[in-house]
Amino acid sequence: MIRGDPVIRGDRGTRPPSTGRDYTRHALGTIGRATLLAVLPAFFALPLLWLASAPFDAHPSITTSVPEFTLANFRSLLENPYALSSLRNSLIQAGGSAAIVVVLAALAAYALSRVRVPGRDALLYVLLLLSSVVTGTAAMVPLFELATRLNLIDTHLGVILTLSGGLLPAAIFILKDFMDGTPTSYEESARVFGASPLQILGHIVIPLVRPGLATIAVWAVANVWGSFLQPFILLRDPGKAPGAVILYTLYTEGGAPRLDLISAFSLLYSLPVVVMYVFVSRRYGFRFHGGIKR
Amino acid sequence: MNTDAAGLGRGRAAGFVLPAMVLIGVFLVFPALWTIYLGLTDYRLTGLAAANPRVVGADNYTAALGDERFHRSLWLTVQYVLGSAVLGQAVLGFTIAWMLRDRPGPVKRITEALVLLAWILPSSVVAFLWIALLDRDEGTLNALLHTPGFAWLLDYPMPSIIVFNVWRGTAFSMMLYGAALENVPPSQLETARLAGASTLQQLRDVVFPAIKGHVLTNLLLISLWTFNDFTTFQITAGGPEGRSEILPVYIYNVALRDGQLGFGAAISSVVLLINLVFAFAYLRLLRGRREAVTS
Amino acid sequence: MISLSGLTKEFPGGVRAIDSLDLEIADGEFFALLGPSGCGKTTLLRTIAGLETPTSGNIRIGAVDVTRLPPGRRDVAMVFQDYALFPHMDVTANIAYPLRIKKVPRAAREAKAAETASRLSLSELLGRRPGQLSGGQQQRVALARAIASHPTVFLFDEPLSNLDARLRLEARTFLKRLQRELAVTTVFVTHDQGEALALADRIAVMSAGRIMQVGTPSEVFQRPANTFVAAFIGSTPMNLLPGRAENGALHVAGAVLPLPPGVREGPIVYGLRPEYADLTQSPPLGRNDAFTGKVAVVENLGTAHLVTLESPSAEANHLLQVVVPEGEEPGLGTPAWVTPRPGRALLYRDDELLTSA
Repeated sequence: MIRGDPVIRGDRGTRPPSTGRDYTRHALGTIGRATLLAVLPAFFALPLLWLASAPFDAHPSITTSVPEFTLANFRSLLENPYALSSLRNSLIQAGGSAAIVVVLAALAAYALSRVRVPGRDALLYVLLLLSSVVTGTAAMVPLFELATRLNLIDTHLGVILTLSGGLLPAAIFILKDFMDGTPTSYEESARVFGASPLQILGHIVIPLVRPGLATIAVWAVANVWGSFLQPFILLRDPGKAPGAVILYTLYTEGGAPRLDLISAFSLLYSLPVVVMYVFVSRRYGFRFHGGIKR
Repeated sequence: MNTDAAGLGRGRAAGFVLPAMVLIGVFLVFPALWTIYLGLTDYRLTGLAAANPRVVGADNYTAALGDERFHRSLWLTVQYVLGSAVLGQAVLGFTIAWMLRDRPGPVKRITEALVLLAWILPSSVVAFLWIALLDRDEGTLNALLHTPGFAWLLDYPMPSIIVFNVWRGTAFSMMLYGAALENVPPSQLETARLAGASTLQQLRDVVFPAIKGHVLTNLLLISLWTFNDFTTFQITAGGPEGRSEILPVYIYNVALRDGQLGFGAAISSVVLLINLVFAFAYLRLLRGRREAVTS
Repeated sequence: MISLSGLTKEFPGGVRAIDSLDLEIADGEFFALLGPSGCGKTTLLRTIAGLETPTSGNIRIGAVDVTRLPPGRRDVAMVFQDYALFPHMDVTANIAYPLRIKKVPRAAREAKAAETASRLSLSELLGRRPGQLSGGQQQRVALARAIASHPTVFLFDEPLSNLDARLRLEARTFLKRLQRELAVTTVFVTHDQGEALALADRIAVMSAGRIMQVGTPSEVFQRPANTFVAAFIGSTPMNLLPGRAENGALHVAGAVLPLPPGVREGPIVYGLRPEYADLTQSPPLGRNDAFTGKVAVVENLGTAHLVTLESPSAEANHLLQVVVPEGEEPGLGTPAWVTPRPGRALLYRDDELLTSA
């Protein structure tokens, strides 16, 4: 589908085709492009269709079909003991992590941006390197061990701290970039008028970098909201498990999967991430920070 | 020139940086070092060795390096990374970015939205979507292809998860190449076109030289991420019979399901090492580009 | 009064931005720090503000030694080159900010802000954000904020450089009148000699962290103390011609000129502003102290022309520039003679001013 792609050979139609061969080529190119433009969206849409139809289907099956419209599936969510509480758990874990990441990263990024410490850039690079090297996958054994010894197994705090530690370096890096981009004359001006460092932070710096803080907060929430591995290994009690883990157990625990529950829950659980993404890209535009999602 | 614009002073600055560093130290740096240590022990989740782990030296490492299952897992991981990231996501991402680059209107917006949606949805959700799509009896794919009863995940687990990950991760490459293509000067493309260059020649002579850095960045990052991706666990859990057991799933199965923490840590150390190689390559690339920009 | 003594600022890496500098600025004076970029003038201003800590030396404002005081306790106000108006605050909040720091109650500081704003004709704009203002309006808001803090000293860093050329003249006049009215000691930094001449009561010309000359605009313009200042000041650069004092006469670019008393023999540099010479198209009668050459370039300056002469002799091949009034410009390639006005030429030896001629 991708190699031998006719699009690459077709030209963009600005040159008048002069010979028969050129003409065939041109036609083939146009047809190929049109086909690809139809096939590609279909490929990406196909798995998503089920998520759009099944939650509202009175008799959801695994096959995607035109639904017999109902909202009863969402009602069955209310009856499930874990479904809604898992969303609350997701909220706690995502909100907690975002709060920690935003506050700690903002403080660190501000100091690193404004005070020239020798080795500052090297430190940042090493941290960034660490955060991409020490992934949940590579560190699941020690993270599990660490949580066990610190009595953090089966606690929200364990999940929050573990995930925050992984998100912080990138958050500091992005925010420092953001703060480097705001002129120091604002702070100097406030200083000449006698503002203290804390006043400068509160009156000037935080309002100035608010878009950056919001981006980091949303980024952290989205990351934690979708995380599966860390809560999966750190939480045993289903009453503490976030949406990601509960959804997984809903379709892997024995017996026939409750499709009404799974479909409605999947949709409900996906919505916040989509909304946040739309919010950030609308409000602040998508900026390329080496991948907003890891 | 300015060493302390905000008048923070060294002491307060250190106080600002410290809390973040402590958290990073405890939950990022320390686990990395501990992985290496744990890999040197016979530590187990349960039983005698759980209470009193013994240092067994390089035993775990030599055992892992000689282990049949590890070899197979490593080979599957190579297939997974090359197939889904390097070939799949990068090529497809570039193709989409190139086709949509100056196309206004709904086709561009809808395609981009669908590709992005696949990327931002939580992993548990997309995992189930693909289980549903590929289901043997009632899967949408079999219904579409009129191949009822075809067990994609059982008969072709690797191709299935490779296609899955192409679907899942193309968005990043698409956006990165989209941004890169915007920086290719249109006048250069037009010059090439006026000179009669075909699209392929334009790509080779104008586009690729201009976005070389982006291509390398993209390949390194998506390889690193794909290499550490745990989502397939939620689709195949490494099965059937370990035929899709890529390294992240292998570590989980060995260390946390079967309880061989020491052995799992040894494998983790190998993953860490490979990650380190990727990350160093990426940093060198970043530095090189930054220097090129400043000079 | 601001007095600086032995002030030195050395940056890490050994760069001396200010080099043991002594300076006194009188109360109410409008004082310019002038020099090319990198001469240390901005560092000096920032050191007075307290944003940079001097490596050695002292700064006194009035009777107080402020060398070690933080910027907020020096009772100075600074207007930055980019104005540093806080983008998230409206004009009122920006102007009132210094009072907010001084814990003036909200109503009082807003009244004060409105009063200051009306003085600078900003009343219409009080509710706007800086992003919604033109460059000139932003500059006035920055001034208003400085005024509202009621300091003993104003510090302006290139206050006019972010305005376009037309607006700059208007703002310059406005600034000068404002400073007269407020009568607050003001130090400003500029790289534009015309701006310094127009605005300042006195100018310090700086180069490489040192002061080359301090004086009123006319002193600096008419009697530059050294060739650096001579070359830097003036909208058309001064002619600086090498010559010799020999046998009781000056030999410069082919001309023989009378030697002023007290100048010893030896090499000299002959300085002549293009404005201080007269051009004729025939040899001046009864005089032999004229330069001669062929007209090489004629540039229209609006009300006058700048004429560049090429001297004919190979051994003294120098260009000489003269400003000629409207309607008297010579034809290209024609011969012309230049007579310096008496007492307007300057003689330099070893870069220092000897005397006028």
